[in-house]
Amino acid sequence: MSYEWLTLWGYVPEFLKAGWLTLQVTLLAFVLAVLLGLLTALASISPVAVFRYIARAYVEVIRNTPVLLQIFIVFFGLPSAGISLDAYWAGVIALGLNVGAYLSEVFRAGIQSVPRGQLEAAGILGLERGQIFTEIVLPQAARAVYPAIVNYLIQLLLGTSLLSAIALPELTGTATVINSRTLLYVQTFAVVLVAYLVLSNVLSWIASQLGARMFHPPLIVRPRARFGGFALRRANRA
Amino acid sequence: MSIELLRTSLSILLQGLVTTLLLSVASIVGGTLIGLLAAVLRSFGPWGTDRIARLYTELFRGTPVLITLMFIYFGVSYFGYAIDVFAAGVIGLSVYQGAYIAEVFRSGIESVAKGQWEVSQILGLSRMQAFAFVVLPQTGRIVLPPLIGQYLSLIKDTSIVSMIGMSELMHGGQAIVDRIGKPVEIYGLVALIYFVVCFPLSQWVRHHDRRRLS
Repeated sequence: MSYEWLTLWGYVPEFLKAGWLTLQVTLLAFVLAVLLGLLTALASISPVAVFRYIARAYVEVIRNTPVLLQIFIVFFGLPSAGISLDAYWAGVIALGLNVGAYLSEVFRAGIQSVPRGQLEAAGILGLERGQIFTEIVLPQAARAVYPAIVNYLIQLLLGTSLLSAIALPELTGTATVINSRTLLYVQTFAVVLVAYLVLSNVLSWIASQLGARMFHPPLIVRPRARFGGFALRRANRA
Repeated sequence: MSIELLRTSLSILLQGLVTTLLLSVASIVGGTLIGLLAAVLRSFGPWGTDRIARLYTELFRGTPVLITLMFIYFGVSYFGYAIDVFAAGVIGLSVYQGAYIAEVFRSGIESVAKGQWEVSQILGLSRMQAFAFVVLPQTGRIVLPPLIGQYLSLIKDTSIVSMIGMSELMHGGQAIVDRIGKPVEIYGLVALIYFVVCFPLSQWVRHHDRRRLS
């Protein structure tokens, strides 16, 4: 038993490298997703009908097809259109596109959760349209959507495991390579499982700390007690 | 894309779709049973079973479904047994989605006002009776939209079972692309098939889900 773990100990540098790659792809794709989500949310409530249709089509296509298929289309399909991407950027773009569609729905709901009366009041007080959005709507919407966004960040992190299908050496891809070399399936997957748990809990812990500091009054994402010291609590659905 | 190619591709893909749907239905049944059990245990479980149920939901909600599937499929063979890839897929998806479904049921159970428990008790119902006849019927209407939403993501997640070698819709698409190329056309066709299955469900959820922020 112990020598099996010793064998895996030799692969610790590879696991660490894979974990770092996973984190990179997660954060890059998340930035893309937030930008796309905001843009799509604004398009979906815009007075211009064409923008609304494009936003709706994008969201429906993404929400009703599997993310693995979207990854394949970006990685294998885009080269036919003359755009060649390596697995890293194909992964970032595919996951960013995917989560962006879900986030746009969240953002839209957040923007619409701000009462209309406030917009009228702000208009009467002489604020311009842009000011109303950045000063009145955005701060309140951000607070409303924050827990849901954190939830999607965690989903995104877990989704990076699918990039092993296009041979990106992130945590899951590295695990399958180490498996084929050592045949220690159970131990390798146990290591990766713990790695994902640590990453997802660290990310949501950072997010909950940020939430408590960024907003006034502080936004407490998860007020419940921790579970037997097993893991930090993850941000739940709003 | 010629008509001939379209016809042969479609026949392979529709065969895959049948497997995808079988896998989905079996996993939906399994996941719902596991999820309901975990939710009930977490809310009312005696002797520390509530903690086990909580550990279960936390564990699977913090790890990717692909790892669950690989763990089951390759893990079983590591211990010297063989498992059918369909069975591994159903078990993996059921256990994984069960954790999310448990959260859906739990939020439903918690949304029923506490006063109703007290009233049931005063009326002389046991805890089991109160749960079965008072609380559960009311949660049904609350949890149905998010539950269907979870089923929708389960159907899409069946595509991941192709990565442990299950020949379903996604795998069918890959097999065709491996043989003849044309990734845009073939994967586009696969996407269209998934879309046709998922779109009615997602529209239903969109119209019935009151919780817009989730």
